[in-house]
Amino acid sequence: MSFPTALSTTRSAPIILDIRQISKSYQGVAALENASLQVRKGEIHAVLGGNGAGKSTLIGILSGVTQPDSGEFLLEGSALAPRNPRDAIKSGITTIYQELSLVPALTTLENIFLGRELIIERAGMKVLLDRKKMKNEVIELAQIFGISKDELDIPISEFGALKKKVIEIVKALTFDARILILDEPTSGLEEEERLHLFDHMRNLRSRGVGLIWVTHHLDELHGLADVATIFRDGRTLESLNLENSTVGEITNLMFGIQSNEAGLRTKNDRLQKDDKSNRPEVLSLHAVSRAGVLRDISFSLHAGEVIGISGLAGAGRTELARVIMGIDTRTSGQIFLKGKEVNFKSSAFAYKAGIAMLPEDRKQLGIISGLSVAENISISNLSSVSRFGFIISRKKERELATKYKEILSIRTPSVNQKINNLSGGSQQKAIVARCLNSKPSVLIIDEPTQGVDVAAKTEVHELIRDFTSKGGAAIVIASEIQELLELSHEILVLRNGSIVGRIENVQNSIEKSRVVEIKAEVLALSAGKRLKNEI
Amino acid sequence: MKFKNFFFRSVSITGVPIFGLLILIVALFQFVVPIFNATVGDYITNLVPVLLLTVGAAIVIIGGSIDLSIGTVCGLSAGITMWTLASGLPTALSILLGVATGTFFGLLNGFLITKFGINDFIATLATLNISGGLLIVLSQATELYGAESEFFTSLVYGSFFGIPTSFFIAGAIILLMQFLLLKTILGRRIFAMGNSGAAANVAGINVRNVKLATFVLSGTLAGCAGVLLASRLGGVQAFLGLGYEFTAIAGAVVGGVSLAGGRGSAAAALAGGLFIGTLAQGLQLIGVEPIFFGIVSGLALIIGVIFDQKIQDIGQLRSRFDSRVLAQPPRKEGDHG
Repeated sequence: MSFPTALSTTRSAPIILDIRQISKSYQGVAALENASLQVRKGEIHAVLGGNGAGKSTLIGILSGVTQPDSGEFLLEGSALAPRNPRDAIKSGITTIYQELSLVPALTTLENIFLGRELIIERAGMKVLLDRKKMKNEVIELAQIFGISKDELDIPISEFGALKKKVIEIVKALTFDARILILDEPTSGLEEEERLHLFDHMRNLRSRGVGLIWVTHHLDELHGLADVATIFRDGRTLESLNLENSTVGEITNLMFGIQSNEAGLRTKNDRLQKDDKSNRPEVLSLHAVSRAGVLRDISFSLHAGEVIGISGLAGAGRTELARVIMGIDTRTSGQIFLKGKEVNFKSSAFAYKAGIAMLPEDRKQLGIISGLSVAENISISNLSSVSRFGFIISRKKERELATKYKEILSIRTPSVNQKINNLSGGSQQKAIVARCLNSKPSVLIIDEPTQGVDVAAKTEVHELIRDFTSKGGAAIVIASEIQELLELSHEILVLRNGSIVGRIENVQNSIEKSRVVEIKAEVLALSAGKRLKNEI
Repeated sequence: MKFKNFFFRSVSITGVPIFGLLILIVALFQFVVPIFNATVGDYITNLVPVLLLTVGAAIVIIGGSIDLSIGTVCGLSAGITMWTLASGLPTALSILLGVATGTFFGLLNGFLITKFGINDFIATLATLNISGGLLIVLSQATELYGAESEFFTSLVYGSFFGIPTSFFIAGAIILLMQFLLLKTILGRRIFAMGNSGAAANVAGINVRNVKLATFVLSGTLAGCAGVLLASRLGGVQAFLGLGYEFTAIAGAVVGGVSLAGGRGSAAAALAGGLFIGTLAQGLQLIGVEPIFFGIVSGLALIIGVIFDQKIQDIGQLRSRFDSRVLAQPPRKEGDHG
C-alpha cells in the first residue's frame, strides 16, 4: 500500500519551524537525543513512533511545558525558548492535546477569548466584557470552520467531540498560530467525524499553518500527511516523503522489526468458522432496555464467538456493556448466562458469575492508578491470591502477576511497579490479565486498543483471539470498523439505543473481499442514512 | 547508589516522614524539659480515645470519603455507657451498648451515603448534630456520672507490668486495623476504591458495601473510644466529643493519609495523632499558655502537610524517573539508527 501524493508543492515552501539537535534527559536517561526536524509553511507533518519514542517530550519542549538540555528551535528564523505554555502560544505555537482543554461551562466565545477578554471601560473602570467586539473579531473565522453565530453563545458542554476539537483549532488561530501541534486529534472521534476533521486540517494547510500531527493511526496518513518523521528510542530516524513510502516500511522503522503489517491486514484465520449452532450459547439478552439509553436489545453469544458492537458515540455501546455487567440497572428485559437468568446488583456479581469487562477509558476506569501492576492484576479475583479466604498473600500475588507478565509480555522491570509508570499498551495488557484472572466465560471489551501503539494493538488482538479459541466468548465494542472486522464473527450496529443492523458471517464476507462494502454499510446504518449506491 | 535507592523508597512509604518528625520532637522535648519523660504515660493515656478516632478517620479517608460525626458519636457512646452503668446494668453489657452505639451510627452514615446517595460531608454533618444532640438530651444538658464498677474504671486506670490497660486495648485495636488495611481482601478493596472509585466499580468491587464497611469500622472505633473516654473521665459532659473529629482528621492528615483517598495506613495515622498530642504536651511543659494551643496545632497541621507533600514530591520524582526508563522500548543489539 503506497500513499498517493498529497500536495507536492509544499516541498518548496519555506521552512517555518526548524528544530535543531534537541536533547533532553531525565535523571540521566535520554528521552530525546539530537532530535531534528523541519516543518514547512502549509505542511502536514506527521510525527510517528511507538509509545515512549520521544514524541511527547518533543511536544512538551515545543509547547513550553519542559525545557531542552541542549539544542534549539527556530520559528521563522528566530530562536525560541518558551518558558511556559503561555510563552509558546504568544510566539505562535499552539498545542491541541488529546484531552480537552476547554472549560465546559463557558460558551464558545468565552472559551476562545479566555484570559484575554476584550473589555469595555466605563468611567475609567474595566467592567464589562465587550461581547460584540469579540464576536465580530472571530465570526468570520468561526464560520469558515462551520461554527455558526448562534453556536458562539452555547456552552462547550453541549457540543460533541468533533466540534470541541474544531473550537480549539479556531481558538488557536485567533492567537495567530503559525505552528499547530495536534496530539492524536482523532481519538474519541467517529469515522465520519474523522473525515470532517481531516477536511479542517487541509483547510489549515491551505492557510499556510504548519501542522505537526502526532498519531498512532498509520492508515489515517493516507492522502493527508505530506511528510512523516519517525521517532524511535528518543531519536528522529528519518523524515519520509509519504509519496513513496508504504505502511510496512514505516512500521519497520518505528519498531525496528517486521510487525507483519501491524494489524492492518485482516487476519482472522484463528476464528472458528464452524456453524454457530454447534456451539453452546453462553450469554443471551432478551429485549433488554434501560430508560432513555437502550431499547429492546436482544442477541445471543456462543462459546468461541466474538460479537462486535458498532455505532456512533452515544448510540448506547458502553451503556450496553454496563447494563450487562450490572454497573447500571436495566428497566426491563432478561439476561441469561449459560441458560440461567441473572440479575447482577453490582459488577462484583458479574465477575463471580464469569463475565469480565475491559473498560473504555483506560486512565479513568481501567487502571487503579496508585496500585502496583500485581495489585491491579489480582484485584478482580482476590481470593485467587489469598489464604483462609481473607488474608492476601503477597507471594502468591507476585507469582500470579509474574506469570501473566510473561504470558502477555507486559513490559515492566518488576510487577511491584506502580501501574501508572507503564506504557499505554502494557497497562492495557495488565487489565487484560486482570480480566483473564477472573476466569471469565464472557469477556466484554470496550475499545480494546485506544491509545495503544500499533505493535501493542496486534498483541491485544492476539490475546482476544486466543481467549475465544479456547472456548471463551467475547463482546468487542470499537469505533474503528476495521478493528471489528478483524475480530468479530457478527457485527451489531447500534443507533439511539437500538440495534439497527446485524452483519452475520463477517469472515466469509471478508474472504469475498467485501470489506469496503461492509464498512460503508455499517457507517450508513450508524448514521441512519440509506445505503448509498455509489460506494 | 544502594543507599540512594533505600532512601527514596523509604521516604515514599507513607508514615515514615511523620515517624521521623515524631522522634525528632520527642528528643527535643526530652532535651529541653527533663520532666517530659515522666509525663509520657499520662498524656498518652489522655490521648488514647483521640488516637482511636484518628485511625477510624484514616480508614474512611483512605476509602475516599470523610466522616465528621466521629467526635460526637464518641461522646454519645461515652454517655450511653455511663448512663447504663449508672442505671445498674452489668458492666460488660454497658460497654457493649457503648460500642454498639458507635457501630449503629457507622451503619447509619453508611446507609445514608450508599443507599440514598447523600454526600458524605453532608450526611456525617447531619449525624454529627444528631449524635451530639442526643447526648445533650440524655444528659439533660448537665453531666452523666455515677458508674460504680471497678472493672470499668480499670479499663484505663489498671495496668499490666506497669503499662496502662488502655494501651493494650487501643494497641490491639490499632494493630488489628493495620492488619486489616494492609493484609486483607477488604483492606485492598478500600485502597482500590479510594484510589479510583469508578475503576474499582468496573473491576468487580462492590463499592457500596466496601464504603459501608469503612463507615461501620470508623463508627465502631468511635464507640470504643467513647467507652475508654467514659472510663477515664468518670463523668460525661453534655458537649463531650465535639471538636474531636477535627483533631482526629488533622492527625490522620499530618500522618500522611491523603485526603484524595487511597494512601495511608493505621500506623501512619497513629504517628500523626501522637505528633499533634506530643506537641501540645511539650508546649505545655515548656510553659506556653494553653490559650495558644489552637494556633500552634493549626500551624503544626500546615507544616506537617507541607512536609509530607514535599517528601512525596521527591518520591514522585523518583517514580517519574522510573517511568522514563520503562517508556523506552527495549533496544536491539547493533541497532543505532
